[in-house]
Amino acid sequence: MAGFAAVLRKDLRLELRSGESTISLATLALLVLVVLVFALERAGAESAETAAGALWVALVFSGLLSATRALSAERENGCIRALLLSPLDPGALFASKLAAAFAFMTVAEAAVVALMILLFNLDIHTGLVLLAPPLALGTLGFAAVATLLAAISSRTRASELLLPLLAVPMFVPALIAGVRASAAALGGAPLSAMWDWLGILVAFDVLFVTAGYLLFEQVVGED
Amino acid sequence: MPASVIEAHELFKSFGFNPVLRDVEFNLAPGRAALIVGQNGAGKSTLIRILAGLSRPSAGTVLLFGEDSRRLGPRYRRRIGLLTHQSLLYPNLTARENLEFFGDLYGLDDSRAAAARWLERAGLAGVAEERVRSFSRGMEQRLAAARALLADPAFLLLDEPYAGLDPQGREMVATLVRDAVGRGCAVVAAAHAPFVVEDVDFEVLELARGQLGAPLEESRRGRLRSQLGR
Repeated sequence: MAGFAAVLRKDLRLELRSGESTISLATLALLVLVVLVFALERAGAESAETAAGALWVALVFSGLLSATRALSAERENGCIRALLLSPLDPGALFASKLAAAFAFMTVAEAAVVALMILLFNLDIHTGLVLLAPPLALGTLGFAAVATLLAAISSRTRASELLLPLLAVPMFVPALIAGVRASAAALGGAPLSAMWDWLGILVAFDVLFVTAGYLLFEQVVGED
Repeated sequence: MPASVIEAHELFKSFGFNPVLRDVEFNLAPGRAALIVGQNGAGKSTLIRILAGLSRPSAGTVLLFGEDSRRLGPRYRRRIGLLTHQSLLYPNLTARENLEFFGDLYGLDDSRAAAARWLERAGLAGVAEERVRSFSRGMEQRLAAARALLADPAFLLLDEPYAGLDPQGREMVATLVRDAVGRGCAVVAAAHAPFVVEDVDFEVLELARGQLGAPLEESRRGRLRSQLGR
């Protein structure tokens, strides 16, 4: 637990110092959102369903960037070797990287949600609070998948290509559930209308957080 | 406590179809030092990574403190120190923050005090609050040496430890190595040429074409030094 806290504290300290990850994630996510707004304008797409879809596309792209940066920072100067050589449990290393990615993505998403409401002319109502459960669960799931797979792809020459190729198809079930649940929240539906979709997101999170915790040692080391 | 800190038997390592290490046998007792010399590409760094438990051999076994290196628990990992030509430090943290971070990872009782003590020993107390990114190569390597020795390892691995160091930096690293051997730490160093640490009797082994030879005689060491211009 002390190792988990030490790595997370170090990552947050580095991020507070530079703001690199959060600013990059937010910028990319906002750009994706703006592009989609203009691309979908002619389709008369000012609806909760389209807004939810655009929001999750932004989440996926920012998540890919977040995971890539988290591992590449550890490979700079060979720091990952120092971590693997330390008494830190590799599962705890995965958990700390996941927690940091989750935190950075959540900050970026807060900005994206605000812009989405503005750009898609959505009504502001108390039901928007219900966006939080699917977004939080989806962010956790995607951060888990991307952190695990980034550990594999960062050891290859084509890491920028390999990570999306591996991560996005795996995330499809959670993506569908997340978009449906978010669309329901944006449309003012009650929480009970989202249960099934949230259940899928919870199952996805349990599966990939557990897999990441157990498999990280196998994928993060050297040949 | 086993008689050897490290024992490697019939080690083979290949990357794809390219063999890097072949039938390597190696063992080292506490308080002893070995220097592995060889040309660039001889497989020294690969051997160091395997001995540290960071990389898996394609065949053969490595026992660290009597335990299989592939299943080395935290209790044993905390007793290994590694100093390479890469510093393994975070450029955007200060010197003090780097050492405190690794102190926390190793579960030191007082990371702050340990960091201050090692910064002093490395001659970096005056730049403790400066980021590593602003350090010269020599300063960064001295801090890397402090990081490697922070938790008082029982087994220290050095991969080209003098790379980029000025004479003052070399002397500082040599002093730290001498102190480590003096308190019973086993040291394995890899370099492309023999180097001298005063008062430390290195057993010199030549790694050539993936095979580790028998310990070199002093005359052969001298010839090797002169061949490599040292």
